[in-house]
Amino acid sequence: MSWRRLRTLIVREIRATLRDPFTLFVLVFVPLGSLLAFGFVVSTEIEGIQLGVFDGSRSELSRRIVAELVTHPAFEGRSYVRRDELSSALINGDIGAGIVIPAGFERARGRAQDGGEPAQIQLLYDGAESVLAANAEGFLRGIAGAVLREHGSENADIVRIERPTALAPAPAEAGAGVASSVRVLFNPTLDGRPYMVAGTFGFVLSFLTTLITAVSIVNERIGGTFEQLQLTPATSLEIVLGKLLPLGAVFSFDVLVMMLAAWWVLDAWPAGSALLFWSISSFYVVTSLAMGLIFSATSATAAEAVQKTVLFSIPLVQLSGFVYPIRNMPEPVQWISMILPATHFINVSRSIYLRGEGVAELWPQMLLIVAFGIALVVLARRTLESRS
Amino acid sequence: MLSRLRTTTNNILAVAFKEAALMRRDKVLIGVTVIQPVMFLFLFGVALTSKPANVPWIVLDHSQSSYSRRLLSEIQASGYFLPARRVSGYEEGYGLLHRGEALALVVIPHDFHRSVLRGASQVQILLDGADPLSAARIGAYIRAIAASLVLDRGHWLRARQQAPPMELQSQPGKPQAVPVQLPMPPVEQQAVPVELPMPPVEQQAAPVELEQRFLFNHTLNDRNFLLASLAGMLLTNVTLSLAAFGLVAEREEGTYEQMLSLPTTPLEIVLGKLLPTVVLCYGVLVLAIVLPGLAFGIWPSGSLLALGIFTLPFVLASLSLGVVVSTLAATVAQAIFISVFFIMPSFVLSGAMMPHQLMPDVPRHIGALMPLRWYQIGIRRIITRGGGLDDVVVPFLALSGFFALMLFFIRMRSKPRLA
Repeated sequence: MSWRRLRTLIVREIRATLRDPFTLFVLVFVPLGSLLAFGFVVSTEIEGIQLGVFDGSRSELSRRIVAELVTHPAFEGRSYVRRDELSSALINGDIGAGIVIPAGFERARGRAQDGGEPAQIQLLYDGAESVLAANAEGFLRGIAGAVLREHGSENADIVRIERPTALAPAPAEAGAGVASSVRVLFNPTLDGRPYMVAGTFGFVLSFLTTLITAVSIVNERIGGTFEQLQLTPATSLEIVLGKLLPLGAVFSFDVLVMMLAAWWVLDAWPAGSALLFWSISSFYVVTSLAMGLIFSATSATAAEAVQKTVLFSIPLVQLSGFVYPIRNMPEPVQWISMILPATHFINVSRSIYLRGEGVAELWPQMLLIVAFGIALVVLARRTLESRS
Repeated sequence: MLSRLRTTTNNILAVAFKEAALMRRDKVLIGVTVIQPVMFLFLFGVALTSKPANVPWIVLDHSQSSYSRRLLSEIQASGYFLPARRVSGYEEGYGLLHRGEALALVVIPHDFHRSVLRGASQVQILLDGADPLSAARIGAYIRAIAASLVLDRGHWLRARQQAPPMELQSQPGKPQAVPVQLPMPPVEQQAVPVELPMPPVEQQAAPVELEQRFLFNHTLNDRNFLLASLAGMLLTNVTLSLAAFGLVAEREEGTYEQMLSLPTTPLEIVLGKLLPTVVLCYGVLVLAIVLPGLAFGIWPSGSLLALGIFTLPFVLASLSLGVVVSTLAATVAQAIFISVFFIMPSFVLSGAMMPHQLMPDVPRHIGALMPLRWYQIGIRRIITRGGGLDDVVVPFLALSGFFALMLFFIRMRSKPRLA
C-alpha cells in the first residue's frame, strides 16, 4: 500500500467524476428530489376527506349530524340525492367515506324509544384505501356519536365538538369509560416529515451510492480504462480505496447538502449532534459504495450491474423500515431486516434526528455499521482480485 | 392496396419477430419480468404493512387494583402489543421511551380504583412520536380500549363499539356492523364480575345505532391496498426499462441506423417494436393478477375485460415516456439513472404505496402528472371495488391524453434525427 499511488488514484477519480455533468446533476438532484418526494408522504393529518352524505330523513337531528360533519375540517361534504349515487361514488373513489341516514330514521327512533330496535345510521368507508380508512374511522364515528349523545342529553343546545386530532379521534368516547390524557414525546405534533427525512438519508445513501459506483466501474470496464488501471503497479486494495474514498467524499458532501436542504425546506434538523450524524452517514456511504463495487465486479454490462443493484436495493430499502416499521413485519422477515446494514443506519439516523440520542446510546449499532463497512470493503477487494 | 397492406403487415411482423428474439435472450429483461413480480409479491403481500404489531409498551401501575389489571389485560388482548414491561418509576419509563425501547407508556394513577367508582377515571398515555404513524394509531387504540371499559353495576364491561377496525374478524362478503350503543351498553353483554360494592349506574335505552361498514376490504388489510397496484408498479418498471434502455442501447451500438436502412417505413418499425412489447406487458399484467390471487386469494372483483382494455393506454403512455427518457439520455447509464429515479418516487407519489389523498397539495399535484397515478386510481376501482369500464372513463382519458402529449414531444425531439 503506497500513499502516493493511492493519492494519484483519488485525484484521477475526482477529476473523472467532476468532468461528467450528468453525474454531477444526479448527485445534486436525486438527493434533493428524494427529500421532497418522501418528506411529505407520511401524514397523520386528517383533513379534507371527501365525505358522501345521503340524508333520506331530513329531520332536525339528521340535519344536525350532517351539518356538524361537513363543517368539520376533517371532512369535505358531498350531498347525494339517491343512495345508489353514493355507492357508485364510493366505487369511483370520489369519496373516502359516507354517511347514510335512512328515510325512516325518525320513525325508527320513535319505535326505539318505545322499546323497539334501535334506529340505524350507516357509516361507510372505502376499505380499498386501507390507510385512509383506518385514519378516518375514529373521526366519523366520533363526531356522529357526539352529536347523538348530546342530543340525547338534557342540554342538547350546547353541542360543542372539539376538533379531533390524530390522537383524540373520537369525542364520542368522552364521558364513557376511562378517559386518557395523551402526550407525545419527541414530536408533539406527530409531524411525519422528520421521520421521513431521517429515512430518506437511508434511501439515498443505500441506493444512489451503490448505483453510481456500479455504473462507473462497469463503464470503465467497457471503455477499457479499468484494465489499464489493473496494469499499473496499484494493488487491488489501492484500486478499491481509490474508488471508494473520492466517491465517499463526494457523498459525504452530499449528506451535508441534504441536511441543509431538509432544514431549510422541511424544517427538519437533527435533535442530536449534527456532527455525529454527518460522520456516521459518511461512514455508511462506504458500506454502500463497496456493495456497488461488488455488483459491478460481478456483472458483464452496465445494464446487468444496474439490474442487480435495483433488485437488491428495492427490498433493502423496503425491509429497512424506510416507510413501514419493521416491527409490523412477520418474524422471519424481521430476521432478514436485521442482517441488512440499511436497517441499522436508518435506525441510527432516526434516533439522532428525532430522539437526539448520542454515542452513549447508539454505539452498538454504529459499531455494527462499521463492521458491515469493513467486511464489505474486504469482500469487494476479494471480488476484484478474483476477476483480474 | 391489398398487397401494400400485406407488405406492411409482413414488415411489422418481421420487426416484431426480431424484437421478440432479442427479448428472449435479454437477461436483464428476464430479471424485470420474472424476479420482480415475485419480489414485489413478497414485499407487499408478506412484509410491508402499516398495521401495528409487536408494539413494545411499558406500564407504570401505581394503582395495582383489579380495575387497572383489567384495563391492562384488555389492552394486551387487542393483539397489537408485546407483553408489557413493568416499571416502578416515571423516570425509568421515560428513559425507556427515550431510548426507543417502547412506543407507549401507560401511567395508571394511585387513586384509579376510587376514580373508577366515581365514574371519572383517567389514565395517562405517553407516546414516542419518533414514529408518527405508529404513535397515532397506537395512541388511538389504547384510548379507544380504555374508553370502552364502562362501569355497570360494579362490573366492568367491554363495550364492543370501540374495537379498532383492524381487529375485526369479518367474513368476506359480510359487511361488519360495529354498533355504537349510546349512551350505555346493555347489561346482557359478557361481563367480567368484580366483587365490589357498586353505586347503581343509570340505565338508558339505546335509541340510535351507528353501523360501521368497511367496504371492499373488510379487515382493512394493507395487503389488498398494496397488491391492487402491483400491476401498475410492475408495468412501470417493464415499460420504462424496455423503452429507455433498449432504444439507447440500439443507438449506442448503431443497430438503430441499420434498421432505418431497411426497406421498412419508420411507422412499421415503431409498430413492429411495439407489438412484442405490448404482448409482454399483458403477460406481466396476467402475472400481477394471478400471483396475488394464488398466493393470498386476492382476485379482481370487477370486470377482467375492463382491466385489459384500461391497461392499454397505460402501457402506451409508459412506453412513450420511456422513449422520451431515451431521447433525453445520451448513454445507457444516463437512461438508467433517469428511469430508476423516476420510478422510485413515482411509486410513492402516485399513491400506489401510500394513499395520495393524504398528501399535501404540492406533492399530490406532482403525482397527478405521473401515468401511474391514474392507472392506480383506475385499477383500484376495477380490482378492489368491483367497477367496470364506465367507472374508469376519467383515468382512461387522462392516460390517453398523457400518451398523446408524449407522442407530440417525441415527434418534436426526434425530427432532426430521422431526417
